[in-house]
Amino acid sequence: MIRTENIHKYFGALHVLRGISLEVKRGDVLVIIGPSGSGKSTFLRCINLLVRPDEGKVFIDGVQVNRPEISPEWVREQVGMVFQSFNLFTHLTALENVTLAPIRVKKLPKAEAETKAQELLARVGLAEKAEAYPAQLSGGQQQRVAIARALAMDPKAMLFDEPTSALDPEYIREVLDVMTNLARDGMTMIVVTHEMGFASSVASRIVFMDTGLILEEGRPSDIFEHPKNERTRAFVSKILR
Amino acid sequence: MALPVYVKRQREAPILSLANGARVAEMVVGGLLLISLFELVLHYNVADPNLWARYGISYVRGFWGTLGYIAFVLPVSVALGFAAGWARVSRHRLLAWPSAAYIDFFRGVPLIVAILFAFLYGVDFVPQRIQFFLEDALGVSASTLPYIMAALALAAHSGAYQAEIFRAGFQSIPRGQVEAGEALGLRHFQSMRYVILPQTFRLSLPPLGNELAVLIKDTSVLGAFGASELVGLASEFTQQIPISGGELVWQFAIWSAIALTYFVMTYLVTRVLRLLERRFRTPGLEVVSL
Amino acid sequence: MKPKRGYARERFVRSVETTLAILIIIGAVAFIYDILAGSRGLDIGYISANWLRYVRAVEINLSITTISFILGTGIGFLVGWVRTVRSPPIPKILRDFREAEKAGAARGKPALAATVIAAGLRHYVKRVADAYVEAIRGTPLFVQIIFVYTVITTFYPRLPGVSGEFLAGVVALTVNTGGYQGEIYRAGLQTVHTGQVEAARAMGLSRWGAMRLVVLPQALRLVIPPLTNEFIGLLKASALLYYISVLEITFLTKQETYVGHHFESFALITGIFLLITVTLSKVIQYFEVKYRIPGLGIQPTPG
Repeated sequence: MIRTENIHKYFGALHVLRGISLEVKRGDVLVIIGPSGSGKSTFLRCINLLVRPDEGKVFIDGVQVNRPEISPEWVREQVGMVFQSFNLFTHLTALENVTLAPIRVKKLPKAEAETKAQELLARVGLAEKAEAYPAQLSGGQQQRVAIARALAMDPKAMLFDEPTSALDPEYIREVLDVMTNLARDGMTMIVVTHEMGFASSVASRIVFMDTGLILEEGRPSDIFEHPKNERTRAFVSKILR
Repeated sequence: MALPVYVKRQREAPILSLANGARVAEMVVGGLLLISLFELVLHYNVADPNLWARYGISYVRGFWGTLGYIAFVLPVSVALGFAAGWARVSRHRLLAWPSAAYIDFFRGVPLIVAILFAFLYGVDFVPQRIQFFLEDALGVSASTLPYIMAALALAAHSGAYQAEIFRAGFQSIPRGQVEAGEALGLRHFQSMRYVILPQTFRLSLPPLGNELAVLIKDTSVLGAFGASELVGLASEFTQQIPISGGELVWQFAIWSAIALTYFVMTYLVTRVLRLLERRFRTPGLEVVSL
Repeated sequence: MKPKRGYARERFVRSVETTLAILIIIGAVAFIYDILAGSRGLDIGYISANWLRYVRAVEINLSITTISFILGTGIGFLVGWVRTVRSPPIPKILRDFREAEKAGAARGKPALAATVIAAGLRHYVKRVADAYVEAIRGTPLFVQIIFVYTVITTFYPRLPGVSGEFLAGVVALTVNTGGYQGEIYRAGLQTVHTGQVEAARAMGLSRWGAMRLVVLPQALRLVIPPLTNEFIGLLKASALLYYISVLEITFLTKQETYVGHHFESFALITGIFLLITVTLSKVIQYFEVKYRIPGLGIQPTPG
């Protein structure tokens, strides 16, 4: 459903992505792990074209999307994204955050968008916080609103960029629960995370990325218990205590 | 977390409360005391009826004149400031550099110098055809035009300061929110309209309020050129006191009254803006640094 | 592998933009030049012959500004201090006293009276300082200058040694900057004042020791940026003194334009001011960065 072929990206002289080829089938949950600076976030942003690859192709449902003819806004309607720092719109309530894009981009009527938003907020467990402003919510609550906001666009797939890295430990669980439920409902997900518990229980596949390359790919049990690559082993041993 | 006992907790008093009323009363009393002190030392009386019989008309004209200048300069300066502030943070050097030049120029040069040159030479920059148009269609005579150019210089000066305020506002908005807007499929102008601008507006309100107060005071500089506002007309009046008869101490009374007028104006503006701020306050939204 | 075509194109666009941007700025200056001096052409001779006169004139601005600023600092610091000193409200004093009475450690009515009077005095001195700052900030400097000038010329028309207008300029600017600096020092002292004085006292420092070792070092770092801005602002404000006939740079410029050197005088005065203000700003920025303490900055002051 999402496929990338030989993605390269340079930032100035820095070769950040050095030929990433991946395939994610519908309903799969792909978890990308790796040390910081390995290009994981950049790669994720290449998929919804927040970053334009310098070389290589990105396919969504068989259509190559990193072409000038394809509107990036359309791509972003197909693929939703959740950020490490939540990035909620601080001047809008939770409900307004969720309804903004459906109203302005999908042109839904306000009433319909709001009903849907209420459902989504209930789904992430925040039905009663609809009128709250982001500053009044905890980190975990903000991230769940962010997830609801991304889901409001009915995306075919969801990208998660270290969604729990900025959270206090007591809030990580609630966000991971929402993500687990999402996966169980069949959403196609690509998740960059350090949460190995989540990875081993929910991921259909794990990819280890380092210095812009995919060094190893496989099932969770394989990666965590019998890593083949030297660096994978080093990384995994550091992460799993 | 308990605060030390003697730290006054800053709770917002409702507008019409005893505390606020007491503060205003204290201020009025203090102001009266201050003026009385001046009157005593310098032997004058602000409320001298003879003075106001003669000066009253000039004062009222001057007051409306000042208001008129403010009404003209304010929108122009906000427009200039907003545009320049926006351009200043743009990725395109084509926008960023000229706006930086404008901002740094008007902030580096004294206001009086800018107004002086606008007054003396501003008219030369206006093409003949536009001058004729202004005269015929809008009744703006050739003698008024230098004052309009001076007012424009004031607007440009204030605009440069406002540009810095707007710039800080723009830069305060975390870049992540723009990214999130993009990720949701918002087009660039949509994220501008629904994400960035509403927040910039709210963030910029307090410092803009201050700038408005400064602008009100700066209109006094126009008086140096004989503009028909408070200071200009007062100058005119005081200069002909020796000729047309009247006491020299009237000068003190006049300037005290004018100072008081400006004080009341700036005070009202700051208070009203404080009110507006409260109405538009979003919990959690503050300027990061200025 | 080296960066691809994409980057070359980006850099090309960037250099085009840069050139255009510079052209726009130069174009604006050329436009001004054309209008003001076009027919006559630039009178370089005038500039080379007379630039020194302008420099001498701006020296007057600088001297008045410096004197006023220094005097104003004395006033401002005092005012700022007075406004930061906390005096407990009268109800609390009474409460404390009653509790001390109950505990048997009463100090007698005279002591109570003295404390109340001292608190009251502190309160009203603070109010006076507040009034001073508010009056200065709420009225235009131009009006202040005219007022002071009127006072001096009316009551002291003939002064030995210094001209009335020079004195008026210094007095007006001093009083003005005293008010604004009072606000700056208040903000600086207040930002540090919370908790830290308490902590210092708890460690055993005296009130003065806490001031000297804890509050002042931080407060001084906090106030330097706004103070330097205030100095630059005061320098620009000194240009207003031409109106009361101080022979400074604006006065000279106005004079010269009557004789016809429009663009040249414009160029000279703006050039000199921009040179001074930009240089000062850069120097200050350098020192600010050098002596910075991460996390220390003045909270924006309420209007």
